[in-house]
Amino acid sequence: MRTRDSLYFRYAYNDLTKNKGVTLALIVVLTLSAFLMATGAMVMERSLGSVDRFFEQAKPAHFLQMHRGDHDPEALARFAAEHPEIDTWLVQEMLGFDGASLTWRRPSTGEAGDLGDSLIDNLFVTQNEEFDLLLDETGAAPHPAPGEIHVPVTYQQRFGLRVGDELGVGTDDGIHRLRIQGFVRDAGMASSLSSSIRFLVSEDDYAALEAAGGGAPEIMVEYRLADPAGAADLQRAYDADADLPGNGQAVTFAMIRLLNTFSDGLVATALVFASLLLITISLLNLRFVIRGTLEDQVRQIGAMKAIGIPGREISRLHLAKYGLMTLLACAVGGILAVPATGLLTQGVQVNYGEAPPGITTFLVPLLALALVYLFVVLVCRGVLRGVERIEVVNALVHGSVLDERRTARRAKRRARRVRRTGLAPEGAVRGTRTGALPRPGVNGRLVLLDLRAELGQWVLIPAVFFLAAVLMALPTNLLNTFESPRFATYMGVPQSDLRADVQFSDDVDTVRAALLTDMRRDDRLTDVRVFATVLYRVQGEEGWETLHVEVGDHSGDAIEYLRGGPPESGEIALSMLNADAYGVSVGDELAVDRSAADGGPGETGEGTSLTVSGVYQDVTSSGLTAKAQGEVTSGAAGYTIYADTTGRTDPGDVAADYGERFPTASMVPMREFMQQTLSYATDALRSAAVLSVLFGVGVAVLITSLFLGLRLTRDRRKMGVLSALGFSTGEIIAQVRVKTLLAVALGTVAGLVFAATAGERVIGSLLASAGLGFADLEFLPNPLLVYAAYPLVLVGAGYLGAVFLTARLRGADKSAWLRS
Amino acid sequence: MTGTTGMTGTTGTPETHKGHPALECRGLTKTYHSTEPPTKVLNGIDLSVGKGEFLAVMGASGSGKSTLLYSISGMDRPTDGSVRLEGRDLTSLDDAEMSRVRLTRMGFVFQQAYFLENLNIRDNILLPALKAVPRGDRAGRDAAVARVDALMERFGIAHVRRHGITEVSGGQLQRASICRALACGPSVLFADEPTGALNSAMSTEVMDALTDVHREGATLVMVTHAPACAARADRVIYLRDGAVVESRHLGPWSAETAQRREDDLLTWLRGLGF
Repeated sequence: MRTRDSLYFRYAYNDLTKNKGVTLALIVVLTLSAFLMATGAMVMERSLGSVDRFFEQAKPAHFLQMHRGDHDPEALARFAAEHPEIDTWLVQEMLGFDGASLTWRRPSTGEAGDLGDSLIDNLFVTQNEEFDLLLDETGAAPHPAPGEIHVPVTYQQRFGLRVGDELGVGTDDGIHRLRIQGFVRDAGMASSLSSSIRFLVSEDDYAALEAAGGGAPEIMVEYRLADPAGAADLQRAYDADADLPGNGQAVTFAMIRLLNTFSDGLVATALVFASLLLITISLLNLRFVIRGTLEDQVRQIGAMKAIGIPGREISRLHLAKYGLMTLLACAVGGILAVPATGLLTQGVQVNYGEAPPGITTFLVPLLALALVYLFVVLVCRGVLRGVERIEVVNALVHGSVLDERRTARRAKRRARRVRRTGLAPEGAVRGTRTGALPRPGVNGRLVLLDLRAELGQWVLIPAVFFLAAVLMALPTNLLNTFESPRFATYMGVPQSDLRADVQFSDDVDTVRAALLTDMRRDDRLTDVRVFATVLYRVQGEEGWETLHVEVGDHSGDAIEYLRGGPPESGEIALSMLNADAYGVSVGDELAVDRSAADGGPGETGEGTSLTVSGVYQDVTSSGLTAKAQGEVTSGAAGYTIYADTTGRTDPGDVAADYGERFPTASMVPMREFMQQTLSYATDALRSAAVLSVLFGVGVAVLITSLFLGLRLTRDRRKMGVLSALGFSTGEIIAQVRVKTLLAVALGTVAGLVFAATAGERVIGSLLASAGLGFADLEFLPNPLLVYAAYPLVLVGAGYLGAVFLTARLRGADKSAWLRS
Repeated sequence: MTGTTGMTGTTGTPETHKGHPALECRGLTKTYHSTEPPTKVLNGIDLSVGKGEFLAVMGASGSGKSTLLYSISGMDRPTDGSVRLEGRDLTSLDDAEMSRVRLTRMGFVFQQAYFLENLNIRDNILLPALKAVPRGDRAGRDAAVARVDALMERFGIAHVRRHGITEVSGGQLQRASICRALACGPSVLFADEPTGALNSAMSTEVMDALTDVHREGATLVMVTHAPACAARADRVIYLRDGAVVESRHLGPWSAETAQRREDDLLTWLRGLGF
């Protein structure tokens, strides 16, 4: 090391250790920033890496269509032959069982339970040979022996299942018992946003289950394409072909990929977003500290310049210090990010397996940290340019960092300001005006004058609290929106207490009628509404396409419409994505064929034109739904019944009651339905929200303490003057605390308002651009939490920081303040 | 030692005055424990300042002058000893009570004007005056405002009342400082090197103002390095190593005897190694 470099290092080291409190606070904030940035980058890299690798091994379908009921295999073969872009295809046969008919038992301990809590379809399948493979933890595609079963990993976690446990499948012939031999990961249905999940059994057991009855047969037509980008075109062609089976959900590779990365991507995005906010806070803070340091050391800098050390060298001396701090912060943040990423990607590892670390595993976080380092150092260098502008005489004689011209300008500015202010009205000089005492008192007035005059410095606190409030509120608001019962309105379903599904069985019409009769007679229920899922055909760009339409009574404000309102007779309401797909808006006509359920388009000649009454948001069924007014009592693909409970009736009890009486219908409390459907996204968001709240509060306290620590040191002389004039220490302390409280409250309120307005729009447009069916996200916040608890916590934290910092003033030597 | 100007010198403690004491201290000790070994700055000082007396405190740098001033004015807590203002023991007061005493019974003039830069000249002077008035007492407030405005007129700074503190001369600033010290009608006025940062013309200006204040009956305790300023006092004490080593009564000051008083004081001070 050259002598000069060693001198720089010693200077930086001594300076850092001299101001331990400031140094530590800065390093902590910088470390948190680096930590979040590195963690966000690593979570993103790991998630994408794991999903990519998993997809390579599992080879999920590029387009799949589910279907219940009869189908024409020849039509499928014809379709495949007509589309050379199809590389390979298959029809997977599946048997669906209700969660309640699946039980488990642990022979070693006698523990037992059932999977009735799960609301999604449990589909029993055999292993595919070519693609869409179900993989075990090693990445291999297992083929269970007779009597064995491989259970989805999500159930392993959720129900605590283990290898060796016994799984009982309730069939019409009794319970068919299988031994859990392992757990499988499912590329096509890994995300909880998927409405079904697959169990892997041997061909013998599949045949036995099929023969035993009790399971709902279903098929899944799957296609692998030479170019996955053609999936949407293939879907359009498939939809346009009326001979093909298609009464279930259709999913494209892009959607599978999106659903698989959605929740982890959400966490990574939240972390990077939080990190950007923290970096902004760090930079504001560094700027404040550097400028303060220059003011404190101006005479020292003046002396260095006087003995001939160039300004650039002095800047480098200081820059070495901040560079060292940032380097340390990046190193510590990077190291901490490794275990944090492990924790945050546990879900990814379970669902997709761990991708082997590659060069990007190291490069991505390193690049993120390098960016943090470079950005911070560049900003520091910019602020330190001020050293070069310091003039020797002004520094040594007046202790000023400003040159003569700027000193004069500042003095003029200050003079203009003080001329406009007055503790007592000027009129009193002439004895002509005797107004009321200036309010709020002398202390209060001083607080306001100080805040106005020192705005440049104090602005750090509202700025930091603004960012902290945004950091805390946005993820929480988004989480609460996903968790809110009113979120149903985004799912295109009415806000109600109970939801019953009668689907895909031969006797849906009978079950519907019986269930509806019972529900309408039930005193515990009110506002019972039934909707039939009917398949219409719509004239699309490439011919007739299938449209799932919910027919029923849509009157009132059951769901919220983005534009327009509920459909009347002769009208149809479309989900936003459907309205976009057909290029129609409110008032436009849409040509439909209502005979689709019975036959091919136009064959029975029921083609008609409906007016679009409204457009609503829907994140279910890939966001492609529609609603029409009317009553369909037979021939529908399925029925959905919604009801509210009266008084204090527990929707859970009602659901259990009906579950026993109507085993083929599925009734669930709406809240539970929402929770399960969105659990993946909400769980991930909850982690991000908790982290954001912790970091927000922590950083707010840290910065308040750092700021006040430096501020109090610089204000010692002023406090000495006030003390000499007769202001008690208590009053001086109160002034500082009130100033802090005002600044903190201002920043917090502004942050919350921003999060609720512009923040809502930013998040809304991010989600809209993700193509998930949102167009206009309106936060459904928990007002008590976000608008009462958070501001209280933030303001309280800031105030406590002020109380802690100012407490030391009590025993201080006031004369030393004056002599400082 | 007796001088032709009527000055009388005394040695030993306690340092007394003629008349009733406005301020007195006994066994005043101040030790700073932050140094190794601890530094004893005041070493058991006994001092009494009479009502209406003008006392000058002199001594070399580091002799304890300013520490004495801060200790007897309650700005600093003495390590030992007692301070009484008009018979009231200040050392037993808590911070709020002591602040009230400083606000209503004491005034300060410092070497640096120590004004709040966020306030204009008038507001700086008004600040303690308004602070002393109970909230809601309109009559008291108006009286305070009128008193401050009258003081500014009297000390010739009314025309700069709306100015910022960087827009006026050092002399004007120190006169404003005297106005602020007098704003609450204090019993004792403390001045710490009030002319230390001024040129000779401005020094004279400020000392004339302080002399006027004293003539009107105010009690003054002034720390100074300047014999010309100390010569304005009724009595001068000389500190060395935290103890009063000499005291000298000068008697009332007049412009005619000023030069002679100053010369005699200088001779006395030289004798003390000044």
